[in-house]
Amino acid sequence: MAYSDKVVDHYNNPRNVGTLDKSSGEVGTGLVGAPECGDVMRLQIRVNPETQVIEEAKFKTFGCGSAIASSSLATEWVKGKTVAEALEIKNTDIVKELALPPVKIHCSVLAEDAIRAAIGDWKKKNGVAEAEAVATH
Amino acid sequence: MMHCASCREPFHGSPLICAACGAVQSSGVEAPDYFQVFGLERRLGVDVAALEREFHRLSRRLHPDRFARATAEEQQNSLRATALLNDAWRVLRDPVERVEYLLKIEGHAVGEEHAGKARSAERQPPADLLEEVFELNMQLEEIRMSRKMGETADASVLAELRTAGERFEAMLDELDQALTAESTKWDAGKGQARAGAAARMIELLDRRRYLWNLVREVREALGAAA
Repeated sequence: MAYSDKVVDHYNNPRNVGTLDKSSGEVGTGLVGAPECGDVMRLQIRVNPETQVIEEAKFKTFGCGSAIASSSLATEWVKGKTVAEALEIKNTDIVKELALPPVKIHCSVLAEDAIRAAIGDWKKKNGVAEAEAVATH
Repeated sequence: MMHCASCREPFHGSPLICAACGAVQSSGVEAPDYFQVFGLERRLGVDVAALEREFHRLSRRLHPDRFARATAEEQQNSLRATALLNDAWRVLRDPVERVEYLLKIEGHAVGEEHAGKARSAERQPPADLLEEVFELNMQLEEIRMSRKMGETADASVLAELRTAGERFEAMLDELDQALTAESTKWDAGKGQARAGAAARMIELLDRRRYLWNLVREVREALGAAA
């Protein structure tokens, strides 16, 4: 199966590979796995407490080219978005952007789950109620 | 009941070749499943030694060399039947592939077929397993990096990897035993009991993919270091 040019590009030049300080209150960490193939993905975000804007995003993925490209793209997309906006990213957007074939759709699902898990972790650290209060300003 | 296309006798055993007249069967509308290929019922408990004997017996009888002077159609049939027999043998001799295959033909979504059918969020493995898998992957990467740079991996790092590898091998063994236990339940059960065993096997197979990826990579890394 041939990878699309965009997958190959993200695979060869992954954006935002790395680690953020897990213990920081501004950082949310999402660690998820794909039972379809055993891939694991960690996605981290650093959120500005004033604006709720995701200022930094890092990932580390052990898996196939599509999983790496999906998480690389996810970090690019969440950066500069507010937490609420980032939650609107759908796996189907990733499928479209990377032209993923049907058997690789679960890679994009994994990336969406990773975003949600990271935001969920950040909300838990900061209190969901507080997060929602700020979001409705 | 399936009948021989040539002599109309009903099949006893494999439908690839007629036991009565010896005609290799052409590709019918419905290809037999891998269990039918060996004349077996759909059961997870398989006597692999007997399966192997039957595989060799059928291989000899279906072998394309035996049909060198036969019609083009018979040669085609022999090739096709041999390919099907090989596929069936490869899958059924392996207890894990056998479970995956059986669940699939029983209509369950397994492995990559899950995609889109169920959210992976609902089928996440336990968080601590995921943590461990991730950490071990980090170690493996470190070892591969240092090897790439021409450095020999640190003895303590290798020792750590060996310990982790043994733990994961043990987890894999335990999981395979659980899979065997559920297989027995599936064979013996009906209705609800069978559905329950199938659901648990799908869950075990999900966890197994993480473990198997790791065990394979640890074996590779340790093998290259030796």
